Amino acid sequence: MSVATLALPPKPLARQARGWLMAAICIAIITLMLMPLVMSFLASFRPLAETSAVPPTYLPSALSLENYQKVANYQQGVWTYVRNSTVVAGLTIVLCLALSVPAGFALARFPVPGKEIWFVLILASMMIPYQALLVPIYLMFAKLGLTGNHFGLAILHTILQLPFSVYLMRNSFESVPKELEEAARVDGASTAFQLRRVFIPLALPGMVTVALFAFITSWNEFIGALILMNTESAFTVPIMLTGVVSGDFGSVDWGALQASVVVSMLPCLLVYLALQRYYVSGLLAGAVK
Amino acid sequence: MTRPRSRIPGTLTACLFAALTALPVHAEDLTMWVRESAADPGKLMVDLWNSSHDSKITLTAIPDNQMVTKLATSAQSGDSPDLVSFDLIYMPDFMKAGLLTDLTEQLTADPNYATHVQAYKDIATYEGKTYGVGFTPDVSVLAWNKDLYQAAGLDPEKGPTTIAEVVDHARKIRALGGDTYGFWFSGSCPGCNIFVTSPMMVAAGSKMLPRNGEDEALTGDGVKLVLEAYKTMWDEGMIPENAEVDTGANFVSAFASGKIGIAGTGGFLISLMKRENPDFNYGLTLLPGAEPGQVSAFVGGDVVAIPAGGKNEAAAREFVSWVLSDEAQLQGLAKNSILTTRTDLADNEFTKGNEKVLTTAQALSVGYVPWVFHFADMVNSDSSPWITMVQTAIFDGDVDGAIETARAEMLAIASK
Amino acid sequence: MSTRRNALVGLAWLTPTLAFVGFFVLWPMVHLVWLSFTSTSLLGGGQWIGLENYRTAFGDPKFWAAFKFTLLYTVVITPLLMGLGLALALLVSPNTPLRRLTRSVVFLPVVIGLASSSLLWFWLFDQQVGLFNQLLVDLGVIDAPVVWFRRAETGLAAVIISVTWKVVGFGMILIMAGIQSIGTDLFEAARIDGASRSLQVRRIILPLAARSLVMATVISVIGSMLAFDQFYLMTGGGPRGKTFTSVYWIYQSGFVRFDLGYSAALSVILMVVIMAMTVLQLRLQSRRRR
Repeated sequence: MSVATLALPPKPLARQARGWLMAAICIAIITLMLMPLVMSFLASFRPLAETSAVPPTYLPSALSLENYQKVANYQQGVWTYVRNSTVVAGLTIVLCLALSVPAGFALARFPVPGKEIWFVLILASMMIPYQALLVPIYLMFAKLGLTGNHFGLAILHTILQLPFSVYLMRNSFESVPKELEEAARVDGASTAFQLRRVFIPLALPGMVTVALFAFITSWNEFIGALILMNTESAFTVPIMLTGVVSGDFGSVDWGALQASVVVSMLPCLLVYLALQRYYVSGLLAGAVK
Repeated sequence: MTRPRSRIPGTLTACLFAALTALPVHAEDLTMWVRESAADPGKLMVDLWNSSHDSKITLTAIPDNQMVTKLATSAQSGDSPDLVSFDLIYMPDFMKAGLLTDLTEQLTADPNYATHVQAYKDIATYEGKTYGVGFTPDVSVLAWNKDLYQAAGLDPEKGPTTIAEVVDHARKIRALGGDTYGFWFSGSCPGCNIFVTSPMMVAAGSKMLPRNGEDEALTGDGVKLVLEAYKTMWDEGMIPENAEVDTGANFVSAFASGKIGIAGTGGFLISLMKRENPDFNYGLTLLPGAEPGQVSAFVGGDVVAIPAGGKNEAAAREFVSWVLSDEAQLQGLAKNSILTTRTDLADNEFTKGNEKVLTTAQALSVGYVPWVFHFADMVNSDSSPWITMVQTAIFDGDVDGAIETARAEMLAIASK
Repeated sequence: MSTRRNALVGLAWLTPTLAFVGFFVLWPMVHLVWLSFTSTSLLGGGQWIGLENYRTAFGDPKFWAAFKFTLLYTVVITPLLMGLGLALALLVSPNTPLRRLTRSVVFLPVVIGLASSSLLWFWLFDQQVGLFNQLLVDLGVIDAPVVWFRRAETGLAAVIISVTWKVVGFGMILIMAGIQSIGTDLFEAARIDGASRSLQVRRIILPLAARSLVMATVISVIGSMLAFDQFYLMTGGGPRGKTFTSVYWIYQSGFVRFDLGYSAALSVILMVVIMAMTVLQLRLQSRRRR
């Protein structure tokens, strides 16, 4: 390969031009990525009569909260669903962490026999069509009394999210320097103490990442929540949104759709922005050995 | 009480987390599921019941597409609600599977049942036994945009009375040009088309779906006549391009946008328009056939039934009887511009002078509903023989071949 | 002795998760396999029919068409996601404010639910009320709004655009993690040696970020093979059933046509295929490393 021909370091001027080009590319990408979100956000404030206007306009002619009122007043009122979703997401986060931290610790730091087999086993649930597994899970949950309550739903969401969580925690613990662990061991500390005092503080970004993704999965999951929950007062946000958006014969209420998309995204975006600093380093540590 | 909750881990978990989820449920309280599309009228009925009865009903709306799944899985686990309101078309499958409680004795003794709309009686009866009654009805009709009729020089007070007239009017409205179109149908929506397209075929003398493998399917000239009419409108550009792919998203909004001359729709349009666009100038008429006077409709909406093994059967039965009472029919349905399901009450103080509601009431009495098993497979699924026929005939142009293929596939499904 | 003790301690830490997985994942999986040998209906009833479902499945042209379509989707979208992910990762890995902002914005859609994003794009692509179409018209790219879902190819393109928007940030972050872990001294050394950027990418970044690249690929392939929501919500399987994916067909069989046993059999087949593909990818990777 022609290595030598390209060997000259770039001149300062060329370098500056390159910088501007890169900046332009960055801005173009930001615009492209944000556009759908901004369009949807603006459209959600259109007055009812404008929601299915042909051709559509980019800006609403007047700001109106009618679409949001539809969402807010749906059946039990939006707060019931938000509360339920929050409870389920909270439980899912707890379960995911409670299971993935010890498992990741064990897989990263101990010579467990058959380690890789266990690991693959844990990852296996990623490879099954979830929709197909739902009926067997449902029938089992019914026998255990786990249908119709939020804990059961949190278990279901944990099933979905566990493989990625364990993968991430394993890598997080693996990236903790060996010397630290040895120092702790010399002190004669128990493994539980080591985990608490040495590993967890260092793997905190990884844990935040696990929590963030558990939240996102749980907050957005629809069909399992619908099958498992039996009363309107126990339903979660995605079920509400499906209800608001769809009318007879699958007709779509475009205005309600914009508002619901915004409502469903907002908590995820906020949590993401708040935790950004942690989870980026969490994925960094998590993805690399 | 009979729920299989005897396992220790189950009981433990249930106890442990009861605090998180327990809802105080009164002993006599009933639970009821209703499919999303019928939730609004269902809620009106239930609110009325709750205002005058000791046992209260808690209503839960289930998204349409998941209703059957939810009901079927809950039946297997014993988590069924006390009452359920669902798309009447699934009645045969559910009755056959033994998922519903037999109401024959109660209903035959009920004088109100005698005047119940025949289509609901038919669809809820299997092997001589009756398992439910019509709850919140809906029926298909043809809507036309009076402003566009006016603009196109047509009589705005007179909708089309034959299929040929539909095509003729649509052509004149399309001649207005621009983004004004003559006709709309949701070309990739099986449910929409069985609702608004098949009645025209029936009106023109066809029989649609086979009840079993020995039965006949898609007989007569109606099927071909309607498909050819649609094909003409499609080929001549009287229908917007996006109709081909519409899976129902614009089933309502296309006509409501004011750019469509004629479209099949349902009685639900009346209350929807009243709520969201009260000034919209349109008319409703019966879905026509080949000759003037030939009309039909698809009787849709929800039936109410009691899932087998319910815990509050007595109270649930009381509700079913109440649904047919004068109070429920007039104060619950008619007062809210919804059709009654009793023919003797169709003409009442609330519908007087409301031409649109009267049109739908008439549609209800002349309408049909196919009594078949595997309706989902034959019609409602995303690649069913029904929708494939509609698409192949209209968009690909092979009318005869499409009918032939669909007939064979329908018979194969029916003989399962 | 100490190793043995360590092994036991490790196993003890692992036990709760294994118990959870065994109980809540493997058991239902076994149940699913059992269902696949029966004629169980969603409405109840059914009996043991041995391999009948599998025999039907192998002769079911609709399932294989759906399977082929799923493969096509996977084959198209995976290189696209990985290529764009890599390009973006290279672009945003320096820690300047603008690049950090770009990174955050590109990752933004990852935190949105797939169903929400599919509905959002379904609206944007709509011929009448969709703003994406309108924008293309206003920019002069197309003359009139296009019906995207009219042909299988454009429908697929629409889905791919929406999915790429939604998940490209995920691959980007994973790959970026690999790049940032390389350490600046290596790049410094390379620059002093006069290596060009493209050479740096080929010789330093790609090999060292390989692990995260493979992981991102594996996750993306599994996700694409199990694609459902985006097609269910956007194309509805149309036109004429040409955009059915495997899982869509499984869903139809089980939940619309009530044939639970048959849909279980299709699921088992798909599961085996995906596992084989995953193992193959990981194998190829570890061989290349050696």
